[in-house]
Amino acid sequence: MTIESVLAVSAALFAIGAYGVISRRSLVTVIMSLELMFNGVVIAAVAFSRFTPSAALIAADPLTAEAIRSSLTGHTFAIFVTAVAAGEAALAFALVFAMYRAVESVEITDASEMKN
Amino acid sequence: MMEVSALTTIVFWAASGMTLGLAVIVVTQRDVFRAAIALAGSFLGVGILYFVLNAEFVGVVQILVYVGAISVLMAFAVMFIQDIASGSRPSEGRLFAVVVSVLLFSAVVFTAYNSNWSSMDEINDPLALHALTDGYVEVGTGTDISILKDPPIDSDAVVVENGGVLVDSTGPIGVMLIREYMLAFEIIGLLLVATLIGGLLLMRDRAPENEPENGDASV
Repeated sequence: MTIESVLAVSAALFAIGAYGVISRRSLVTVIMSLELMFNGVVIAAVAFSRFTPSAALIAADPLTAEAIRSSLTGHTFAIFVTAVAAGEAALAFALVFAMYRAVESVEITDASEMKN
Repeated sequence: MMEVSALTTIVFWAASGMTLGLAVIVVTQRDVFRAAIALAGSFLGVGILYFVLNAEFVGVVQILVYVGAISVLMAFAVMFIQDIASGSRPSEGRLFAVVVSVLLFSAVVFTAYNSNWSSMDEINDPLALHALTDGYVEVGTGTDISILKDPPIDSDAVVVENGGVLVDSTGPIGVMLIREYMLAFEIIGLLLVATLIGGLLLMRDRAPENEPENGDASV
């Protein structure tokens, strides 16, 4: 397990999600693929936190508690992305339900009928 | 520093295989309910990856939020929308999607394997290394805090002992959220409230004139 292999796994998850977003027609599966892409990005952030030192820690002289904690910036980033993704999923499904009520369909090609 | 054991590597590749295999099922399965189940498994695999990467707190958040909440939301959505039982058909852009995802994947992997990533070995300060893996001690208060390896024997100053931030990350993340990232933390709270109100507004029944005027409906 090196940073290269973790980044490759994160890129693979992101690419699989991108394939799903472009190729699927149902809005529900598109949202599922979007969540996969979010996860791929967060894996990369945590991997950088685990394998690379923060610039603040290398430059710190004398050593401060802030510089030590800055090694965990990737983890904090992961928490924020997770919170945003959770809100995004809830709002996206509310939109899908609203569309389903309006046009009785959840296919992306039918979304243009929502203009009125 | 922080050597990767053989067992860790095996668990890492097993969790990666589980995550990616189930993710492929999510984007290719026609039955959307099966896709939702595979998605929950894929999220669980990502959670295991976080544990392998020494990010316990992020792993627990992943399992609580994704496996616990978002997967249930997906399953609920699939069951609510009967239309979806007919299956999720792929669109015409399938070949284009393959090209885009393969290009994305190869671009990132090429960058990952050809970049000269800095490693933990570049930290020269032995105190910093000790703070990352074994712990450190904060002595003093306010702006006058000094970092030591071990607690001082005879000192009447305020002494705070911390674990190594990379092996015991939960406490430092909490401190970071309310110190360095206080504003972002507050804005996330505001965002979640806005999302909640927006979701309720979108889901609201748009036919108030059909509701009974008097209280007969309430039993």
